[in-house]
Order: sequence, then structure tokens, then C-alpha cells
Amino acid sequence: MTTNGNPQETHHHPRVAIAPNAPEVYRAMVALDAAAKKGLDPALVHLVKIRASQINHCAFCIDMHIKEARKEGETEERVYLLNAWEEAAGHYTAKEQAALALTEAVTVLTDGFVPDAVYERAAGQFEEAELAQLIALITTINAWNRFGVTTRMTPGQV
Amino acid sequence: MSTATGSARLAFYKLAPGVYQPLLNAHVAAKKGLGDPVLAELVLIRASQINHCAFCLDMHVKDAQKAGVSEERIHLLNAWEEAAGHYTAKEQAALALTEAVTVLTEGFVPDAVYERAAAHFDERELAHLIALITTINMWNRINVAIRQPIGGQS
Repeated sequence: MTTNGNPQETHHHPRVAIAPNAPEVYRAMVALDAAAKKGLDPALVHLVKIRASQINHCAFCIDMHIKEARKEGETEERVYLLNAWEEAAGHYTAKEQAALALTEAVTVLTDGFVPDAVYERAAGQFEEAELAQLIALITTINAWNRFGVTTRMTPGQV
Repeated sequence: MSTATGSARLAFYKLAPGVYQPLLNAHVAAKKGLGDPVLAELVLIRASQINHCAFCLDMHVKDAQKAGVSEERIHLLNAWEEAAGHYTAKEQAALALTEAVTVLTEGFVPDAVYERAAAHFDERELAHLIALITTINMWNRINVAIRQPIGGQS
């Protein structure tokens, strides 16, 4: 945490990097990422990626996707309210809200089973092919979150 | 309420054909790079238990049996820490890492868990183990989201 402009010193040991040690996996993941977001609204893609990264506590991913979203014109308000989007429903379209609810359910499988209500809310807003892409997108950002957290990538690290 | 039998909620793999191949490629490359099919199945089963993916559990328990894993070692996976004598030190390190990487909502992959794994796997193996844990987490998410029936395919 930064309090006075001096980032707190961390003493983590370096961890393994995926790309150089598992290049074939990494290449497939990049291809998967491109395939998953195909056809989806770019603004929605950012919201989903940020929200999943918040839930999974991936600092590198939060940083990257907020910067991308802001660069493409997303408002600061919609970004910082994402963590409490259900309490700030007026800031997101019904379609975005349905996608965010699905993002949470698919990201936190340990607590539930992607309830019918959540699934049907999304199915009410997305036609089938788009819904499949959305599920693929949520799944893919969950994978990047796992790489980022496990290998302890830091914000801004490339 | 829909049930876990019959057809999936969504014919995902037909509706998103461009997604399946790279996902499969990542998974196959991860498994191959790990180079230990028995360990791979233990990891795949444990993640599927945590994520409650019935379709995946069914598939990987059967695959584990085919790979020669005993019924006892499969059943005890859910409580492997209490049955440590049934798993090698290397398997235990991999299972601990599987749990930490699967349940990111509760933690940050602690140093103790990471270092325990790093002591048993070289860098290349460890990268592929992390990748395998990650790819099964993807299959779990898709198959739970679409409520894939056991033994089914869409």
C-alpha cells in the first residue's frame, strides 16, 4: 500500500514466469483471449475483466484492464463503482448488470453453481452465440488472473 | 429449475467454435509439459471437486482410473491433507498449490504453498503445473456455467 508516495517495500521471492517456461501454453492462451472477446462490446469486455480481476485479487490485471478501459473512454466513476455495481445499478445498463452478475457467479464457483436466476438473467440479455462468447471471456480472464496471482506479477510489469 | 441431466444450458462448443481449439491446445500443452499423467489427474480431480464440476469430476475420475490411480487415492483426494500417507510429498505439494490457485477469492497463493511446490518441481515443470491448474479451472467454469450433463457434450 502506498501512503506517502513511497511504495512499501516488499520482500517476495521471485516466482516462475509462465511465458518463457511454458511457451506453447502461453501462445494458446493469447489465441484463446482473442477468440473469447470476439463479437463482444469492448466496453463490456473491460468491465467483465476488471470485475473478475477484483474478485480474484489480481493487482497486475486490475491495473492493466482499468488503464485499457480508461484509454478507451470508460468513465472513472463506472470503474470505481464496479466493486459495488449492484448498489450503483443506475450506472450500468441492464445488459452490463446481467453480464456482471454472471461474471461473479462463474468466477466464484466455490460458493455456488451458477444459479438459474443468474444464468437466465444473462440469457435474457444476450443471444446464444454472444452468451457463449461472454462465458468464454469470463473464463479466460479467470485464467489470466490465476497466472498473474500465482506468479505474483506486479502492476505495470510486462 | 433445469437439471443436470439431458442437454446443456447452452451448446457452448458449437456456438463458440474459435474458443475450443486454443483452450484444448493450452490444456494439452500444460499436461504434456508437466510430464506426469497420474499427478495430472490428481490435480484435475481436486480442482473439479473444489469448483463443483460434475461433468469434469466424472471425466477425470474415469481418466485417473485408466491411468492406474487406485480407487482409494481418488476417494481420499477430498481430504488429502488428512490422508497424507497416500500421496507422495510431490503430489501433496501439487495439491496444495492446486487449492491455492483455484480459490483465489480467499488468498493470494501464499509463499509457503508456492515454495513447497517450487522445492519439488523445476521451473519448467512448475510453469506447466500452474498452467494445468489454470486450464482445468477454465474447463470447470465453462462446464458449470453451461451445466454440462455428465458424459455429455455440446
